[in-house]
Amino acid sequence: MKYHFLDQYRETGSFIHKLDPRVKFLAMLVMVIAVVAVPRTEWLAYGLFLILNVCLILLSRVPVAYVLKRSSVVIPFVLLVVVFLPFFKEGAEIGAVNIWNWHIGIKREGLLLAADIMCKAWLSIQSIISLTATTGMGELLKGLEKLKMPRIMIMLMSFMSRYVFVLSDEAEHLSQARNSRSFGGGIRLHVRTLGFMVGALFIRSFERGERVYGAMLARGFEGHSRFFDRLSLHFVDVVYLLIILVASAVIVLIPLLLRSISG
Amino acid sequence: MHIKILICSCNRIAIASNGKYEITRMHIPDGLLNAGTLVGTAVISTGGVAGAVRVVGKKLGEKQIPMMGVLAAFIFAAQMLNVPIVFGGTSGHFLGAALCVVLLGPWATLIILTLVLIVQCFIFQDGGILALGANIFNMGIVGGGAAYLIYQLGLKLFENNVRTKTILSFAAAWCSVVLASVACSLEIVISDVIPLRVVLPAMFGTHAIIGLLEGAITVAALTLLRKTRADLLDLQESWQTDEE
Repeated sequence: MKYHFLDQYRETGSFIHKLDPRVKFLAMLVMVIAVVAVPRTEWLAYGLFLILNVCLILLSRVPVAYVLKRSSVVIPFVLLVVVFLPFFKEGAEIGAVNIWNWHIGIKREGLLLAADIMCKAWLSIQSIISLTATTGMGELLKGLEKLKMPRIMIMLMSFMSRYVFVLSDEAEHLSQARNSRSFGGGIRLHVRTLGFMVGALFIRSFERGERVYGAMLARGFEGHSRFFDRLSLHFVDVVYLLIILVASAVIVLIPLLLRSISG
Repeated sequence: MHIKILICSCNRIAIASNGKYEITRMHIPDGLLNAGTLVGTAVISTGGVAGAVRVVGKKLGEKQIPMMGVLAAFIFAAQMLNVPIVFGGTSGHFLGAALCVVLLGPWATLIILTLVLIVQCFIFQDGGILALGANIFNMGIVGGGAAYLIYQLGLKLFENNVRTKTILSFAAAWCSVVLASVACSLEIVISDVIPLRVVLPAMFGTHAIIGLLEGAITVAALTLLRKTRADLLDLQESWQTDEE
């Protein structure tokens, strides 16, 4: 199991952990929409969202460093998408690189846009991580079911989230076996080997699926799952959602307000 | 340097930098696309997935529900396997849309890829939550749809034998990868982030190569299945007859 870090802080027992999963999901959605809706290059709003995120993480007693570290994984990848923006966007040139006769201008607009996309991606990821760090997959699925997500999808997702880790381990075993025996050779060999590994993994998954079904049948499975515990909204859930809604709206609107006051 | 962006602006490829980010897929994050594109692709994807749920829900019995869940986990795990050396520091891996279409049909594929994307978004923070619609559109609807159309059309047009099927599955895999990348670049262009003349050749170029890998892996996987468990190749038919 190499994904043990996912569930590391699920039991810190803060009040956020105990909130209704529906509320936590909606709050996450509100925050991500708000971050994406912030007008381009409003750095103040991004700063405030970062503070809000950090506050929520502190309240949930998940170490801030853990969330920031995991969310920063997104940075290199977004960077690679946006790294060429400064060169291709139209706008004022703030610097230039000359490679022999090839003039490459660095445009201010492009640079700002790249930084902006980076902020949005990073802040959104933080919201998603703080949701999944405080909510178990089973709980989250129960919440999503109450939010009218199709039942069949919920069931498929609950099966998948169980077997993702089992089959990832299986895939790792295959990789390890391959790495220890198959080296050298050309790309053709490697690609063919990978194809065979995929085929083998498919057969193993299929057979596991059959065994799972057999085991479930033996325990009275009739084609749908039953959940015992009911979710109920409490006062604190409503308050939490309201606070997130108001805070997000205020943060999105602050730059506009400041501008209208000063202008 | 140029190759780097070609590779990384694309939807998914493993980046091996000293093994640290060895297995990292990449989907569109939040904040890259504009509101119109997000809403448009989300509406199309929701419609497509709803349709798929209806079709599959009718066709599949109780037996197929655990099976579909496990196979979605299979696609996820299979994407972790990678070819160690492809070109300079990067390594290719398998996406699975075409294999899934050939084995399970287009509707099941759309549902399975949707599940994979949702789990990648929630658990592994790969791809944004608002961009989920766009990612499902690219991989499931465009990628899966293209693979299905090519495979079915080919089976109708040409003689139905092992060789045709092999060539068709290769073509389906290539097209699913390339067309998904084209859809992704068009979304980036519509959102006015990177101009068409930059993003399209870059995406098309790299994905043409990734598509060759995908095709070869798909063909090899199907060959293995044909030799060892040929019964699994007719899953779609057997699932349907189970119901009747």
